[in-house]
Amino acid sequence: MSEYLLEIQNVSKLFSGLVAIDNLSMKVKKGQIYGIIGPNGAGKTTLFNCITGIYTPEIGQILWKGKDIKGISPYKIAGLGILRTFQTIRLFSEMSVAENIMSGRHIKSKQRWYNGIIPTPAYFKDEKYQWTKVGELMEFFNLSLYATTPAGDLSYGIQRRIEMARALAAEPELLILDEPAAGLNENETIELTEMIRKIQAMGVTIMMIEHDMEMVMSLSEYITVINFGAKISEGVPSFVQADPKVVEAYIGSDEEDEDA
Amino acid sequence: MMNKTSLIALLLLGFAGLYPLFVDSAWLAVGTTFLVFACVAFSQDIILGRAGVFHMGHAMFFGLGAYTTAILNVQFGWAILATWIPSVVIPMACAFALVAPIIHLRGDYLLVATIGFNIIFIQILENDVFGLTGGPNGLFGIDVVRVFGYDFSSQIHMYYMAFILLGITLFIMRSLDRSKFGRAMFYIHKDDIAAQSMGISLRYYKLYAFILGAGIAGAAGSMFSVQYSAVSPEAFNVTQSIMFFTIVLVGGSASLPGVLIGTFVMFVLPEVFREFETARYLVFGVAMILTMILRPRGIWPVKFGNIPSFLKKEAK
Repeated sequence: MSEYLLEIQNVSKLFSGLVAIDNLSMKVKKGQIYGIIGPNGAGKTTLFNCITGIYTPEIGQILWKGKDIKGISPYKIAGLGILRTFQTIRLFSEMSVAENIMSGRHIKSKQRWYNGIIPTPAYFKDEKYQWTKVGELMEFFNLSLYATTPAGDLSYGIQRRIEMARALAAEPELLILDEPAAGLNENETIELTEMIRKIQAMGVTIMMIEHDMEMVMSLSEYITVINFGAKISEGVPSFVQADPKVVEAYIGSDEEDEDA
Repeated sequence: MMNKTSLIALLLLGFAGLYPLFVDSAWLAVGTTFLVFACVAFSQDIILGRAGVFHMGHAMFFGLGAYTTAILNVQFGWAILATWIPSVVIPMACAFALVAPIIHLRGDYLLVATIGFNIIFIQILENDVFGLTGGPNGLFGIDVVRVFGYDFSSQIHMYYMAFILLGITLFIMRSLDRSKFGRAMFYIHKDDIAAQSMGISLRYYKLYAFILGAGIAGAAGSMFSVQYSAVSPEAFNVTQSIMFFTIVLVGGSASLPGVLIGTFVMFVLPEVFREFETARYLVFGVAMILTMILRPRGIWPVKFGNIPSFLKKEAK
């Protein structure tokens, strides 16, 4: 088996003739924090949507532990252990924080089809276990106080934490974070950085798009820089930062504010 | 808060249980039909209020259950008791066969397709296909429930059978709400992209909702045909489907008390105001419009946050 958890090989994605991703390749090692940076509209989120099955790339392969997962539906991708958060937060906003996180336990739940109609002893055990797991995650993400609060009523920073808790509830092997620090203040960003380190320490591989350069440079072990859908540079943070092509890509586009 | 809700529920249960002792036969029949319609409304709510699928052909599943009992009893001489299982299973099988090919359709497209099913269903009934359905007049002379030589034939029997059926329906709704199946429906309803990214198959859970809803509607249909000892096509047409759809939205999607209130408002109130004849429907039209403007989530909206108490740590 391949030493890489995820391999993206020569992937291209077109939208009605426009090239959103252009012959992109990258390799993510198990346990790594992998950063993806690039100016707005470079195709970073499109790449994440291709990995998670929301889009199917026209060309290339996406290998998960050596097997091509291109074109598999999103719910099956999640079942493989690839979970994600969204750049524009997508919580079940009317539902409570605990119920939101419980959605991550869905694929881990052992309830049978008839448990939607009639409870069984195995169901009660499973239900209790899943809620206990939700409780642990709320502790970890410091959300216990908001257990019954509708997710949509909470602040942006807390909502981002709920999204991460929800994805982590599914016990992913690969966690894909789409701009986790967008809209966070300085303190919240520091907290987030520590949280991501803790998640890595649990053995979860992390891929992340981020515009906060300080954060992405300090966290990532390896970085790919994308512009106009194509890779312009890759390497360890210190290399990427010094690469003239990267500097060039960011000149004239230093307004990195993402309107989320 | 918890106690107040349970108290209201208990009072309602007591009232519903003793209702036949206080009313004349006409009102008893209204009560029975209310219970049956409430079951159908709950089954519509599984599909519309929980899974969030715009399904406007639910009277078809109700009718399939009613006609299954009627045809098996009148044409083939089956005992009513023996028709109960087919009257649940046949609507479920039809739900699977008809809805599986169109389940990927979004909102309004699926709505039109389900109306189409309902129209075809009525055409089949009216044209007396295979000489089974009795044409536009329907079928008459449906038997009563007999167990060990005892006939459950009075209106009071009908009422309590419907009462038990509603009890079973409520038990299922409660189990659904507290299982991963009910939750998956909510997740799909609130944000289908996020739900899929959590590993939830849209197709599986939408079909689950349809099949479960069709089964409950079928059981209610069977009860309905026995109560009136007759079935005819107009009880299951698109107008009736629109009524079930409206009951859920006016009462409160995915809310158990909401759907009961919706059924009461849309079905019992017109009976109360019978002396105003057709003018009463004008009032209802206006009431429906006002509800949607003033309480867009229904008269008694659903409340989320039903989580085990050991997770509730809020400082009160």
